[in-house]
Amino acid sequence: MNPARSRSWNRNRMNRGGGLGGRAAVVGIGATEFSKDSGRSELALAAEAVRAALDDAGLSPADVDGLVTFTMDTSPEIAVARATGIGELSFFSRIHYGGGAACATVQQAAPAVAAGVAEVVVCYRAFNERSGRRFGSGVRQREPSAEGAALGWNMPFGLLTPASWAAMTARRYLSVHGLTPEAFGPVAVTGRRHAARNPAAYFYRRPITLADHAASRWIAEPLRLLDCCQETDGGQALVVTSLERARELPHPPAVIVAAAQGAGRSQEQMTGFHRADLTGLPETAVVARQLWRASGLAPGDIDVGIVYDHFTPYVLMQLEEYGFCGRGEASDFVAADALPLNTHGGQLGEAYLHGMNGVAEAVRQIRGTSVNQVPGAARALVTAGTGVPTSGLILGADG
Amino acid sequence: MTLAPADRQEPRDGSGPDAAGPGEDFVRRLKEYEGRQAGPPTTGRDPVNAPMIRHWCEAMGDAHPAYQGPDAIAPPTMLQAWTMGGLAGHPERGAVARDELFALLDGAGCTSVVATDCEQEYPRALRPGDEITFETVIESVSARKRTRLGAGHFVTTRTEIRVDGEPAGTHRFRVLKYAPDLKASAPEAPAPTPTPDPAPAAPRRPRPVINRDNAGFWAGVAAHRLLIQRCTACGTLRLPWLPGCDGCGSPEWDTVEASGEGVVHSYVVMHHPPFPAFDPPYAVALVELAEGVRMAGNVTGARYDEVRVGTAVRLEFLRVDEELELPFFRALPDRGATRGATRGATGGATGLPMAAGTELPPLAIPVTRTLIVAGALASRDYQDVHHDPELARRRGSPDVFMNILTTNGLVGRYITDRFGDRAVLRSVAIRLGAPNHPGDTLVLSGTVVSLADGTAEVRITGTNALGLHVTGTVTVALPDTETSG
Repeated sequence: MNPARSRSWNRNRMNRGGGLGGRAAVVGIGATEFSKDSGRSELALAAEAVRAALDDAGLSPADVDGLVTFTMDTSPEIAVARATGIGELSFFSRIHYGGGAACATVQQAAPAVAAGVAEVVVCYRAFNERSGRRFGSGVRQREPSAEGAALGWNMPFGLLTPASWAAMTARRYLSVHGLTPEAFGPVAVTGRRHAARNPAAYFYRRPITLADHAASRWIAEPLRLLDCCQETDGGQALVVTSLERARELPHPPAVIVAAAQGAGRSQEQMTGFHRADLTGLPETAVVARQLWRASGLAPGDIDVGIVYDHFTPYVLMQLEEYGFCGRGEASDFVAADALPLNTHGGQLGEAYLHGMNGVAEAVRQIRGTSVNQVPGAARALVTAGTGVPTSGLILGADG
Repeated sequence: MTLAPADRQEPRDGSGPDAAGPGEDFVRRLKEYEGRQAGPPTTGRDPVNAPMIRHWCEAMGDAHPAYQGPDAIAPPTMLQAWTMGGLAGHPERGAVARDELFALLDGAGCTSVVATDCEQEYPRALRPGDEITFETVIESVSARKRTRLGAGHFVTTRTEIRVDGEPAGTHRFRVLKYAPDLKASAPEAPAPTPTPDPAPAAPRRPRPVINRDNAGFWAGVAAHRLLIQRCTACGTLRLPWLPGCDGCGSPEWDTVEASGEGVVHSYVVMHHPPFPAFDPPYAVALVELAEGVRMAGNVTGARYDEVRVGTAVRLEFLRVDEELELPFFRALPDRGATRGATRGATGGATGLPMAAGTELPPLAIPVTRTLIVAGALASRDYQDVHHDPELARRRGSPDVFMNILTTNGLVGRYITDRFGDRAVLRSVAIRLGAPNHPGDTLVLSGTVVSLADGTAEVRITGTNALGLHVTGTVTVALPDTETSG
């Protein structure tokens, strides 16, 4: 196959992303408390979040006929349906690749309700990620599947944690742009500043300074403790339905203006050390290209950005891939507060809910109910986990 | 080993608390000793003196000129020997926390003791006439651990040695107090070989994840060849291995062998969390090979904080345990784009050009019964397991074995033998593995890890017929060494 022809065919294929825009909306959000030890099962957290989201939407479990979650979630759709009285399901789907799935849950719910495959779809994610299986504690062995083997190229050398995999990319980014690890500081400070005003945030009333960031201990150099997101127990759910039905419900709808998934060439999960350029995020570029094209919007049209912050360097690289600023300039861009960013506190400050709490914050911004409300916010960009196949959303006000 | 009274050696039957294992309350009682002074400040039994130095050097076979003549200094590795109570103990000391702690462990069936780690720093030389004082703190007491010797608790102490109030040395010491597993060696029936390993089973690195798609790569590593896949349709090279080409989609491939030259494309220094078999901080590099593909690996010949983007490296293969060899990347000092600290020097005794990465010629030492006993006595260690075969067998060992102080002394001798008459030891940190029994041969080898500002850091290993006897790191000052490049 001629590579040039292949690329142009891909471009045409991506153009079709605009079809679902504006036909579905997020109408309910609900979460458990965010803690370090929930004291209950992951299924109990999932069911609680789903009930809370339905209450918020003014809907009942009987209205729901679709459920979407992550492949990593331990609570199957049928278990959640049983535990919440949802009953029959006509649509259920799961998205792979960890936090990269966050916006994709909505991306898959939206066409389902737009096409009439389901009427009301709830997207959820719940886990005891701090008191149970902690991602940050790392891996020691993997099955010899294709997925396990991919990680096996790095494990014998002691690259065993998400922070270690992110740090490899981060070091290259610093080196190419002539920056120091302090460049990551503004992302951490911004998240914690917003979290300090958010009573739901784990780090409520606990802001940090750039000096605190620079003094925090190394985890995987060049990443410090304050470059790494929290580990959290909790659950978050989102209710998606058609725009027509949304207009009959209590809250102003957060219209799904555009939604996309993306995987880059030579994509891997966190250990993408073999693609041509380590200083960018090709998966994010694939998503950004679709979102801008489908929405007809540009970075300057975005009122608030909820940018997935498992590790601070990836926030910088995402802002550059979305075109908010030039390559190597994102640290200054964040420091200048040029875009309201992660107004819930992000996963650094509020909670690590695999990005689902970020979608909820974008909904609050569109409703006008965020604790750090951007006045008149009409368009919010939400992103999902990077370094892995990822996803993104643009949510907007109705009309 | 000085820490267990010589009269406690009757093994218990299986009905004691050692059979079921002490519970959480017991561990909590043990933990109460953490941070406590092991005993009151104590003065050495004897001043530093020439006869003990001479006995030590004779036992170790150490002919370093610095330890002889009118201006002699004591071999730095004798540090612990000056603190030892000898056969009579330190008579002026009353009941102290360490004795209480050990009695508590004895009561739980952990009647045997074996030293596992010794880390010493030598800020100043000790000379005949110096009167040492020392204070010891119990740093930590571990939860119950299963080891090949039996279940027990690791006790770590730190001792500060002073002369006239000035710091003269620090000494961190870790012992395992354990309930000997005597199933295989009742007092009447000496244990058959192979002997138990006195250290806990060495932790192993995570294994490569080998499947049908990549088995050829790891077979290549076992044969010391780093094989890169090559698409036979479009010629694209690929690593990691996959059953098809990301460039053109063809499933047809062959391999090319990497030349071994490469450059660090990026790197990580791992600090937290700790993992078994890794000793943070450590560096992991992403190396771009000359062929254009990349591979993660650890860097040899440079400290973790010396690796840089752009450091030139060369492939080598190192065995990390009995089952696994891995590709490593050796930093090339002369071509490193941004490395600064490492310089070449000439080793005085061997005339070797010394640089980071230099491998020292090995030293083979016959482990005779005489060496084991002479080393124990020169270090004033009267533990039965180092001189009495019958009592050693009652503790589950097939014969007497060398004490940690002797191993420490032999490591010190090896380094000064190799670095010459002006070399001065600054620190020695060792961990023991398989024991040295009479009739074996200990082979010490070392690799210069770094060489900067007249100080070399050397990684040492010592092997015997049972495997790895000792691993460790030594820093040695090299006044007036020639430096170049």
